[in-house]
Amino acid sequence: MRRTTRILAAFSVAAGLGVGAASAETIGFAEAIKILGASCGADIEKYCKNVNLGGGRIQQCLVENEAKVSAQCKTDYAGVFALLQQRFAAQAAVEKVCNRDTQQYCKLTKPGKGNILKCLLKAEPSVSAKCNQAITDAGYR
Amino acid sequence: MKFALYAAIFAVSLSHGAALAQNKLSRNEIVNSLQGAEVQATIHADDLRAQALQNIKQYPGENAKESIPLSAQLAKLRQFNVEIDFDFDSDRIRPQSYETIGLIADALHTPYLWGQKFFVVGHTDAKGKREYNLELSRKRAEAVREALVTTFRVPPEYLEAVGLGEEDLRDKADPDSAVNRRVQIINVGF
Repeated sequence: MRRTTRILAAFSVAAGLGVGAASAETIGFAEAIKILGASCGADIEKYCKNVNLGGGRIQQCLVENEAKVSAQCKTDYAGVFALLQQRFAAQAAVEKVCNRDTQQYCKLTKPGKGNILKCLLKAEPSVSAKCNQAITDAGYR
Repeated sequence: MKFALYAAIFAVSLSHGAALAQNKLSRNEIVNSLQGAEVQATIHADDLRAQALQNIKQYPGENAKESIPLSAQLAKLRQFNVEIDFDFDSDRIRPQSYETIGLIADALHTPYLWGQKFFVVGHTDAKGKREYNLELSRKRAEAVREALVTTFRVPPEYLEAVGLGEEDLRDKADPDSAVNRRVQIINVGF
């Protein structure tokens, strides 16, 4: 399955560089959670009928019903939540990875309201490849 | 349970009226609809909640004759309406709408929207009791907010959930119309 390959690709990239590394390939929240709906939608409707998405409850429900869910769901669901974690890690990494670029190109920018990132986005042609990659991986572009 | 499905389908459209029903909603469309707020946040979620309750008291009856007083002010803010499928009579988000919640999260995480405050506002059509609709829309708005702040870690301090039931209909001429069932994301400002 294509989506499985996609998850595995993201995993292997993450594994190669260490999960949480700023340069790990990440995908957006919509793209990641869409896999959950596609692979586990039927199982969620069957085994998690009174469970809502928030608060980690769907994840918990799928863990509890792992023996019963479809093979596709079983293959994919943990990966989906790992992908969300990778995106969070990528977001958390940006400030540090881009510290030098921030000093160099956005020294006069008043922090807050996303101002530093907006400055770095504008300065993309000058910003280091590392920082640009971190911004992309965080989904900030 | 066919009715359940019909009841759960909301109309999709942008605030400026562009019909999106057939097109796929994208993160950038959401960002574009929401960004550009220069106002200081002056509308409080508690006032909206109080006005919805007051509206039922002041204009009792099967359907609301008036919208809440803040309606016009709300309509001027940057916003968009989104389709989210819930179970019938429930705040449970159906799996086919997970992607939509993820898109809203992707949008709210971009630097273009940082530091601004957003309301997740739930609306119903005018079928059924007004108090019941108010409570259902509140729970649904809360469920969307909860998914955004937990599953997708949107900063909770920038997001409030409000249910307006049938007290701020989009199509007053046709109170039972499906276009009235919607979730609004409103940028209330900095």
